Formats: sequence, structure tokens, C-alpha cells
Amino acid sequence: MEKRGGWDFKYKTRDIVIIAVIAAIAGVVNTGIGNLWYLANTSLGPMGGALLQGAFMWAYVLVMWLVRRPGAAILLGIIETTVEVLMGNASGIGTLGWGLFQGLGVEVIMAISGYKKFGLLAAMMAAAGASQFGTVWTAILFGWDPAYAKDVWLAIPINLISGLVISGLLGYYLAKALAKTGLIRSAQ
Amino acid sequence: MAEGQHSLRYIERDAVMHRIYPLVKLAWVFMVAAGLFLYKTPLSGAINFVILLLLTVFLGKIPLREILSSSKFILGLGLILMFFHLIADPGNVVYQLGPLKVTDTGLIQGPIFFFRLSVVVLASFVLIWTTDTRDLMVSLAKAGIPYRFAFAVFLALRFLPLVQQEVDAVRSAHAIRGRASKSSLGHRIKLWQRYMFTVLVNGLRKAEAAAAALECRAFGSSPTRTYVKDVHFHAVDLVLLIVTAAIITVLVLRERTGFLF
Repeated sequence: MEKRGGWDFKYKTRDIVIIAVIAAIAGVVNTGIGNLWYLANTSLGPMGGALLQGAFMWAYVLVMWLVRRPGAAILLGIIETTVEVLMGNASGIGTLGWGLFQGLGVEVIMAISGYKKFGLLAAMMAAAGASQFGTVWTAILFGWDPAYAKDVWLAIPINLISGLVISGLLGYYLAKALAKTGLIRSAQ
Repeated sequence: MAEGQHSLRYIERDAVMHRIYPLVKLAWVFMVAAGLFLYKTPLSGAINFVILLLLTVFLGKIPLREILSSSKFILGLGLILMFFHLIADPGNVVYQLGPLKVTDTGLIQGPIFFFRLSVVVLASFVLIWTTDTRDLMVSLAKAGIPYRFAFAVFLALRFLPLVQQEVDAVRSAHAIRGRASKSSLGHRIKLWQRYMFTVLVNGLRKAEAAAAALECRAFGSSPTRTYVKDVHFHAVDLVLLIVTAAIITVLVLRERTGFLF
């Protein structure tokens, strides 16, 4: 078994290809979820967006658990949102902001753990962090001012729970299930 | 990318926008987006919107029908966002319909956000319509981004149609084995879980094979690489950035000092 984790930036070609493939799949899935999210977010505001916000980060968690290298989530975020831009995401190039912010959310949580903890709790924390970081970009893009819109503050716990439950659990159990197939050595 | 799946794709044309260096166009999109965050009145956004539309049609040779077809969803969302700001922003009530109160601040902020969203998105659509993805990747690598990572973006786009084929194949396999064509929502969610897992497993299997093939060809062993189709920067491309910066400056100065009109 290949030993992974820690501050090791040496990406192998295999790591990059895995990130690219998962980014392609996640780009397609997230473009579909994105259309639902836009309707909820623009018609109901921050609270509506927060309910579905957590559904986008499963791939970030999955990639970090499979590749186990610092920066993998940001790389996935940028590529996945590039795919979304080209699939016709309604925010155009603004979509890249979510990729960067959500990826950064996962990286911050994993950096705190020294890229060494790959359990369920870390997955859920990483997804919750990504969900919250993603909302910061949403607030910038959609012009939510926390000073006036109290919904922005009320949406914070919903965002966290949404990311924690939807993407944390999904990403972690997908990684576990994929590890059982024997395809990915690092996740076993 | 699967053609015909959506209208947002590179459109080959002999047009001014197509000839501009991809990285200059990318920087232009960011410049347009940054400018929108500086405007404080809807008029500046509206002027930007019209200029961008004219640029797309005349310098990009993109038909208006194509523009409307790709933008109708975002324009609809922009209108909903404008409505949200009209009734949600604090300020003096100027109109009331039942529980909904339209405020004076909302009347200014609503259109600002409509144009902000519409212009940012239209600018990025122009980049997509006028730039071959391969050229963008080559220019990114030339700008100093490690080519292995630039290649990852290109690879993801190469895998896109394969993902769609994979979903169709899994769906057909399920249908052959007697999956009900019409079923409850719960059952459909379960089916999608199975589709997704199968697509992921098959995707990773392909990734392993692709990685092995790349390593066999010594991909990544050299710090630089050559390209079959090269792209070149010309100083004249910078005119796009200079003109855009001038327009933003004039619009911002007009708002702040009230000069011109």
C-alpha cells in the first residue's frame, strides 16, 4: 500500500489525471444541481441558497481523500468550475470563484490537521468549511451585505449543516466505497 | 465537449475577438468584472452591457440569436435577483403591494445587480465563444503555469463527452435488466446513486489507463514542452485592455465627479 498524507506536494501524473476525471464528472453533476440552486438562491435569498449549498462539495472531499496531497481540493475546484463554465453555468466566469473558495475551505481544514486525518469527522468538517467559504463568494457575487441582510447570518448554520451532512457524508462514503473496489491504492 | 448538448462552446470565426491572445481575453473578463464592482449607479452597468453586446456582435461575429439563446437563463435569474433587491434592501418605501415593500435603495441596487450579473456572464461567454480551449491552455502554460496542471484542465474537458456516454451506457444496462421506465422519486434517487457510482468507477479505471499511457510517453519528465498548434502574443492585442480600462475610468469618474453627463 502506498503511504500518503502530510505536506507532500509531489503530484504524480496519476493524481493529476484522477483530479481531472473527477472534475469532469463533478462538473456535469454540479451544473445540474447549480440550476436548482440558482432558483432557490435568487428567489429565496441566502436562506434558500444555504439549503442546497452543501450539495456541491462532495467531489472536493472525494478528491482530497483519494489523492491526499495539499492543494488537491483547490486544483479540483478550479478545474471542476471551469467545466461548469463551459457547460453553461449561469454565473459564467464568476463560477471559478466558488471553485477557489470552496477548495480553499477544504484546504484550510486539512491544513489544520496537517493533511494527516482522513476520517469521517475530518471529511464532515472539510465539507462544512468548504460550504461556508463558498457562501463568502456567493455574498460577494450577489451583493449580500451582512450589515443589512440578517438572512446572511441566519444562513451560516444552515450552510454548515448542509455541507456537513450532504457533501461530508457523500464524499467520505464514496471514497470508502471506491477504496473497496481496489482501484485507488491511497484510499485503502 | 459534446456538440449540440448546449450552445455555449467555441464558435470558429474569422473575427477580431478570435484573433486576440487568449490570456489577454481572460484578463479582459476579469477587468470587466472588477469594473462592475466599482459602479454605484445602474446607468454605468447599462452602458457596459450595451458596449459588450455591440462588441460581441460586431467584433466577435456572434449572432444575436446565439447570444440570447445562451443568456436567457441568466437574464431570467438577473431579473429575479433584481426583484429580490427591490423588496429586500432597506430604505424609504416608495411603493407597497401587500406585504411587499419596494424601497428607494432597492430601486437603485436591483438594476445594479442585474447588470453586474448579466455583464460578468456575457463577458465570460464572449471568452468561451471566441477562444479555443486548447489555445487557452497553451497560453496558460506559456504564462508559467506548470503544463501538467494546464493539461489537467484540458483532460477534464476531453473526458466530458465520455462521461455522457458512460451515463447513457449505464442507463441502458439498467434498462436491459428490467429497470422500470417510470418509478417513484425515491427509486429514481436510488438509481442515480447507482449511476453515479458506476460512472465514477469506470472513470477512475479510465484515469488509471490514461495515466499509465502518459507515463509511458514520459509525460512530465521535462520542465517544458512543445505544442502542435502554437499561439502567439501581439502587442496590438493589448488595445482591448486599454480601451476597456479607459471606458471603466470614464464611467467611474462620471459617477464620482459628475463630469460629461
